Amino acid sequence: MYAFTLANRYLTSRVIPLIAVAAVALCVALVVIVVSVMSGFLDMLKSSGRTLMGDVVINYPVRGLPWYQDLIREIESLPEAEAATPLIDTYGLVRMPYPAGADKEVVTANVWGVDPESFERVTDYSRTLHWKPPANRSDAGNMAPDDPRLALSPQIEADGRALRQSGTGEPGLVMGIHVSIVNDRQRDGSYRSRYGWFMPDHAVTLTLVPISGKGTVAEPRERVFQVVNEFKSGVYQIDKNRVLIPLEEAQRMLRLDRGTLFDMDAPPNADGTQPVLGESPARVHRVLVRARPGVDPPRLQAAVAAAYDRFAQRGATDTSRVVRPPAREMVSILTWEQHLRDLIGPVEKEREMMRILFSIVYLVCAGLVLSIFWAIVQEKSRDIGILRSIGASRPGVLWIFLQYGLVIGAVGGVVGVGLGWLVIRNINAIHEAIGQDAPRWTWVVAFGLSAAALVMSGRGARQGRLLPVLLWLVAMVALGLAGAGLLLHRGTLIWDPAVYYFSRVPDQVDWFTAALTWVGAVVFSVLGASVPAAKAADIDPVRALRYE
Amino acid sequence: MSDAPLLAARDLRKTYRLGRVDVPVLRGADFGMRRGEWVAILGSSGSGKSTLMHLLGLLDEPDAGSGDIQLDGRSVRGIRGARRNAYRNATVGFVFQFYHLLPELDVLENALLPCRVRARLLGWPSVRQAAQEHVRGLLRAFGLEHRLRHRPRELSGGERQRVAIARALANRPEILLADEPTGNLDARTGGEILDMIAGLHRQGLSIAMVTHDPAVAARADRVVHLVDGRVAAS
Repeated sequence: MYAFTLANRYLTSRVIPLIAVAAVALCVALVVIVVSVMSGFLDMLKSSGRTLMGDVVINYPVRGLPWYQDLIREIESLPEAEAATPLIDTYGLVRMPYPAGADKEVVTANVWGVDPESFERVTDYSRTLHWKPPANRSDAGNMAPDDPRLALSPQIEADGRALRQSGTGEPGLVMGIHVSIVNDRQRDGSYRSRYGWFMPDHAVTLTLVPISGKGTVAEPRERVFQVVNEFKSGVYQIDKNRVLIPLEEAQRMLRLDRGTLFDMDAPPNADGTQPVLGESPARVHRVLVRARPGVDPPRLQAAVAAAYDRFAQRGATDTSRVVRPPAREMVSILTWEQHLRDLIGPVEKEREMMRILFSIVYLVCAGLVLSIFWAIVQEKSRDIGILRSIGASRPGVLWIFLQYGLVIGAVGGVVGVGLGWLVIRNINAIHEAIGQDAPRWTWVVAFGLSAAALVMSGRGARQGRLLPVLLWLVAMVALGLAGAGLLLHRGTLIWDPAVYYFSRVPDQVDWFTAALTWVGAVVFSVLGASVPAAKAADIDPVRALRYE
Repeated sequence: MSDAPLLAARDLRKTYRLGRVDVPVLRGADFGMRRGEWVAILGSSGSGKSTLMHLLGLLDEPDAGSGDIQLDGRSVRGIRGARRNAYRNATVGFVFQFYHLLPELDVLENALLPCRVRARLLGWPSVRQAAQEHVRGLLRAFGLEHRLRHRPRELSGGERQRVAIARALANRPEILLADEPTGNLDARTGGEILDMIAGLHRQGLSIAMVTHDPAVAARADRVVHLVDGRVAAS
């Protein structure tokens, strides 16, 4: 009891322990911030992958998977599967409507042909549509008065969902918000038109290159599509590269649509046509599958693989069809995480590496507490002598300083986690601030405070005391340097979305890491305190009390 | 007053090592005090009187193989660990020349400290009220009732020494060991402290008091003269 009281008093009645608390807090905050950003980045990567691709992906690229409707029916009958959707995944050229004149801009794009209705059920695609009017007054209230979305009609959202142009019924194209250069991102995440262009007012020309059955490049096909909306997935690389068109249009342009299979080796019929072998079914490159709630991707993956086996076996024995589905070995069935393994794996390793590297911070905590406590024990040796003289045991004295370290670690850890939380929650605002020139008032205040510190230093000198002079001079130099830094600061882009995939810095605290770091700070603070605590317990009370 | 010694020491020797030099401080000192007796240990600076007090209070160890210390006829020289701590906590109470109060604690907390050390963690709630009543009573008797929440730095020298005496008596010890209790006080305040000690003695407390001042020593029942680490006269 006395040990707790004394530890508490030593903590609250002196400045040095507060410095130790601040040091531990800074160390903990550092780890929490860095690892939280990395974990957030990883989570965003994973969740965006899942949102964009469903839970399990069946891949059969280039030649395309025939009879996919049968496969989708098979999969949708599974108790593990919520929905499945076919997908064409290819690359093409998009001829933009800008600039004015004949020499239009052309960009390469990752073209997805999708069936809007089932694609929506698998990926919640409509949530990513950017151009839509506010859903309610509350949403409208959160938008800037000049946000163009306030003036939009609900039809633009409906067109985006259906990938069709209302009125004409013509197929439409939805492109990522950064595919064109006309959308200027604002601080609040909204977009303003650049150069007066609004893409859903314009049409683009899409060129795709089909691959023949022999694996050679066939005649490119082009088609004009009206842009009906733009989407924002949050993954910069996707928002910059991907365009969506209706599935059947993509199949037609790639020659993957339904057709008739002729026997080119047989002699022609009397009317000069080649004999018909049978139906050439429409094909897709992928089938995306979404799991029912509570079903994890690996479980769904196993069920989908079994469903594919059944589908392939049926296809192999169906004599009414000439074209057979590819064997199971030719098709890859991956969870979204496996699909993005190349990307997620290194980031996961980087995060673990960070955790390990930053565990050095624990040693810093231990070293700080050790050195500060060493000084405190030196100073408090007389108190320790008194305690021994009134019957305090050595473990009792030891326990005072261990508790002291425990409290410093615990309080410093809590403050550090709080500080980390504060920074993480506001990291995008901080990032925005760093990205701009410092406001004039910041460096004016810094220089003003620096001048005030100089005055205070002079006052200390007149009193003939060195310590205040020195402290105020240090403050003057620090504030002066800060002012100069702010004055010279020019906006720095730290989080480049082109490098980090996402247009926003992750702002969620990794609570597991925060808890782990807190425990580490407590343990290492106690370890740091243990050496001076043992020294305190060994103090000879006679020597401690003899010298005054 | 019983004739049997309450606290007795025989042939105590203590040598300190200063660098490479052995400095003998006690050279076979004998000491004895009866229950309820007030004994002054008088000696000049360096005579070993404080060392004798530390040995009697088991704050320090005599040289290996030398002498013995007995309480009520039982040797306490070799006791270790919890028993030794209990002896310092409740059998004797120390008062030092420089008060030695803990600056972070207020008057009441300083005086209660031996009770808290004795009660440890779990026992404290059960004994807290009784201990506080006893210690408050002591502080009231010493005229410090209005100072209970003051820190030591806010007290005068005399007040600090009264708090130190209250702390020494907190666990109702059998013996008060006072090392120059008036050595850091002016004559008038020192006199007040001696009056207080005399009052405690009248209530039956056994007191061993170290001093270099014959006038202070004269207040005791008996004076033991310590010269060069030996008892010269009693």
